[in-house]
Parts: sequence; C-alpha cells; structure tokens
Amino acid sequence: MLQLLKIEWLKVKNYRTFWILAVLYLLSIWGANYIGYSIQEKIYASKEAGNMADMILGGRPYAFPKVWQMTTSATSYILFISGLLMIILVTNEFSFKTHRQNIIDGVTRTEFIVTKMTCGVIIALVSTLVVFLTALFFGLIQNPSDISFQDSQYIVYFFIQAVSYTWLAVFFGLIFKRSGIAIGVFFLYTLIIENVLALIFNRALPQSYFLNGIGNYFPIQSTDELLPVPVFEQVKKQLDEPDINITMQLSFAFAYLIIFFFISKRKFETDDL
Amino acid sequence: MDVLTLNGITKYYKRICALNNVSFSVPEGSVFGILGPNGSGKTTMLGIVMDILKPSAGSFLFMGEPPSAAMRRRVGTLLETPNFYHYLSAERNLRIAAEIKGKGFEQIPSVLQKVNLYHRKDSKFSTYSLGMKQRLAIASCLLGDPDVLVFDEPTNGLDPVGIAEIRELIKNLATEGKTIIMASHLLDEVEKVCTHVAILKTGNLITAGNVDEVLVNEDIIELGAADMPMLENILRSLNGYKEIKRQKEYLQLLYTMGTANLENVNKFCFDNGVVLNHLQLKKKSLETKFLELTNK
Repeated sequence: MLQLLKIEWLKVKNYRTFWILAVLYLLSIWGANYIGYSIQEKIYASKEAGNMADMILGGRPYAFPKVWQMTTSATSYILFISGLLMIILVTNEFSFKTHRQNIIDGVTRTEFIVTKMTCGVIIALVSTLVVFLTALFFGLIQNPSDISFQDSQYIVYFFIQAVSYTWLAVFFGLIFKRSGIAIGVFFLYTLIIENVLALIFNRALPQSYFLNGIGNYFPIQSTDELLPVPVFEQVKKQLDEPDINITMQLSFAFAYLIIFFFISKRKFETDDL
Repeated sequence: MDVLTLNGITKYYKRICALNNVSFSVPEGSVFGILGPNGSGKTTMLGIVMDILKPSAGSFLFMGEPPSAAMRRRVGTLLETPNFYHYLSAERNLRIAAEIKGKGFEQIPSVLQKVNLYHRKDSKFSTYSLGMKQRLAIASCLLGDPDVLVFDEPTNGLDPVGIAEIRELIKNLATEGKTIIMASHLLDEVEKVCTHVAILKTGNLITAGNVDEVLVNEDIIELGAADMPMLENILRSLNGYKEIKRQKEYLQLLYTMGTANLENVNKFCFDNGVVLNHLQLKKKSLETKFLELTNK
C-alpha cells in the first residue's frame, strides 16, 4: 500500500490546481469558524444580547467544551470541498485515460480503486486534524485556562462525515467520469437534493421512536445529524424533541461507508475501462 | 514457448460483436502483426489482454500462465493513445510508470534518448506534439527493458522520419530477441517489420501465420486473343501456373512470385495456333491481397 500511495504522491506532487484548492480549503476551515467566532463576539459585546444568547445557546459556542461541537458543525458546511478535491483526483485519471495506463503498467484494478479510497481517508484525516487545531485555537483564545477535551467525540464524528464525503465523491467520479458533471451533481446532491429528499420523507412518513424521521438516515444526513449546530438546545429540550440516537446514526453512517466502498470497488473491478 | 495464447476470445459491446471467437498464438521471439482495417477489433483484443476490457467469453494465457498484474509489469504496452498526466513533465510521467513497474528511475534518461526526447524531458506533456506524445509512450514501454512489447498503431501521428525511426527501433528490438506484438492497419508496416501476422476483419480472425505464408505475393499474366474460348481451352494444357481466372476482357494466369515467364506463354499460345493481342505481366500488390483477404 505504501508503494501505491507513493505513486499517488508522484501524481499530485506537482499538480498546482490540487494544491491551490487544498490550501484554500484548509484555510477556509479556520475562516468559516472565524466568521462564527466574530458573530459570537459581536453578540456577547452587549450584556443584554449576551444574556439572551446564553439562554438560547447555553453558553458561548466557541468556549470549551462547546467549541468541539461548534467547530465541527460549522466546518461540515464546507466539507463538500473535500469531495471536490477527491473528484478531481478520480476524474483526472479518466480524462487522461491514465487509469487504463496504470492498469496496463501493472497496478491491479483492486489496488487502483482501494488506493483512491485511501486517498479519501487521508484527505479526511487532514481535514479532521485542521478542525481539531481550529477548535483548540478558538477554545484557547476564548479562555486559555479552561482547556477541556470533554465532548471531543465530535472530532471523531467529523472524521466519519469527512470519509463519507470523500467516498461518495469517489463513487460519483466513477459514475460520471467527467469532472464537470461529477462535481455539479455532487454539490447539488450534498447541499440541496439530499436535504430536500430528507425533508420530504420526514414529512411523508410518520416518525417512529426508533427512527425519528427516515430522512435523517440518508447517506450524508446520517452523519450530519451527528454534528448539530449547538443552538436552541435548551429550546429543543423544552419542546420535548427526541434526542439524536447516536448509535443508530453511527450504524447507518458505517453501513453507508461499507456500501460506498464495495460498490465502488466492484464497479471499477468489473467495468470496461 | 508461446508468449500469448488466445482461446476463443469474444467481446460484445452491448449487442455489437467486436470480437468473435478469436484464437491464435504468438510465438516467442516473433514480431507479430495484428492487421485489420479500422474497427476490426485490434485494440479491443489488446485491451482484453491488458485487463482494461473484460471479455464476454474466452480466455488467454500469458507465457503459459493465467494473466496477472505482475505479468503486465514485465510487458511494455502502448495501447491506442499515449496516456499521460498532462500537467506533468515527460520525466515525471515516466517516474510514475517506472514506480508502477517496480523499476528504478535511472533508466529514464536512456529511454528518452532512444526516442529523441531527452532535450524535452522537462517540458510538460500538454506542450508535446502528437508525434512527441507517441514517442514518449514508446519510451515508457521500454522502461525496465521488457522481453515482450505490445504496440498499438506505434507510428500513429508520426512524420515520415519518425515512422522510419520507430520502424528501425522495432527492428532493433526484434534482433535483441524481444517478442513484439504490433497492431496496425498499415499493411506495408506489417510487411516491413513482422515475421508473423494475424488478420482481423469485423471481429473475426481471417487468417494467422507466417508473413510469407499469409501475405504471399503472386505474379499475374494477363492475356487476350480474338478467340477467347479457344485461348482458355489451350491454356488448360499449359503447366506451371496455380490458377486461371476469367476477367471481363482478358484471362489471368496466377503464378507463384518470380515464376511467370512471358516468353514461354507467348510461344506456347502461338505454337497452339492462338495469336495473342494482349500479354502483360502484373505484380499483385499487397494492398490487393489485403483487400482480397478482408473482403472474403
């Protein structure tokens, strides 16, 4: 595997497009949270607004331990860019026909697709690392003496979501083969289509206790539910809304990962390339 | 030992049959030409051998063993078009190929020199002309000094000088004892460099074997006389030709190459009371032969 990853490294090492997007994306993780942090600071600047915010938010979202949830939740909105990076890595091979050449030169079909999926995990790991550092950064400037890793499980949830995005991106890349359409459909699906479908299904089907809304268990939604924005939590409690069933959400998230993995692998192993 | 043995390879693209039950063997050390017009299934066949296409039926052996990725690493292959990363330089592209084949980078300068691209090794692939791309693909095939080379239309996009260079290179590789499998629609290319040939037409194998057996040349004597039935009659008792053919105005006698003798035929006819008003020796071109084979 290490040798296969070295080959991937040779492919991207001098690929400027990839690095420009990757660096801007990673900076944007910090940037998106800086925006959130600035809004928080603005609200807490006045005492009255601050009291109100405390009521709604239950404390400053960028202070420990809430910062873990806030940072990961805010970052999940730009996670689709990690999918973009992944789609470029996959569809480039198709447009240069280098996927064929790699096989011809002696990579097996299975090695090829599994290496791409591994690259997805690496992108997810780097994203997670940057989110972790970002959360630490904002938590520390909020209150350096208050450092706490309570609720840092959100970092793990974020990693799972990031892998979901990149593996779904690999799958879309394999289906559409051209970058334009793969990126377009991927963005629309993750940002709009799945949310719309989730809303429609949640409305149409009666909620059972076990599956509080079937739409919450769609591929991306199942990980999105793990990273709720930490607002209105008090209000939600008052409204007696059912809590998120973490075990169920995680089970579905893992099930989707297994499905993405095996469908993509099977598709690349059996297709005419 | 045979380098490659195909057993009833069949390939359908949806309902279109691209290869129909093709079987033949490529002997070690041969320069094996796969000849056929556009769309005859040459690339499909090589694609199946290289595992980028899945056959609908049939199987093949590589060096007597079932195909594997390890085997492909020992073969230099150029299939259809040169496939490289556009944003990387020639040298960096070859590094990827070398890494996949499990070879070191130290051979890269020498293979680039062999195809006259060394001076452009740092230029991006996207800046290359078609001919240069083709030569880079051939350089990539040479990495690791493989014993078997597969070239699909190797002179595609090259200028006459480039074509001559590549032919020379292929001939040199053949004298080094390498097995070369070469697909081409250019008959004279196959004739000039190949020892063996297989002819494909719309997915069917028409014939395969030694070049001098398959692409055998013939001499043709064309004759005419006022009394054609009489001429045909007396020619039946003439010896030496292989076949007699009736054309619109003339009769044709087909001879093995180099055995036709106009004087003898003329004398024979005259002696038998037929005066010829037309007598001509025609060399049958390979093109005609090829068209004949593929139009069956």
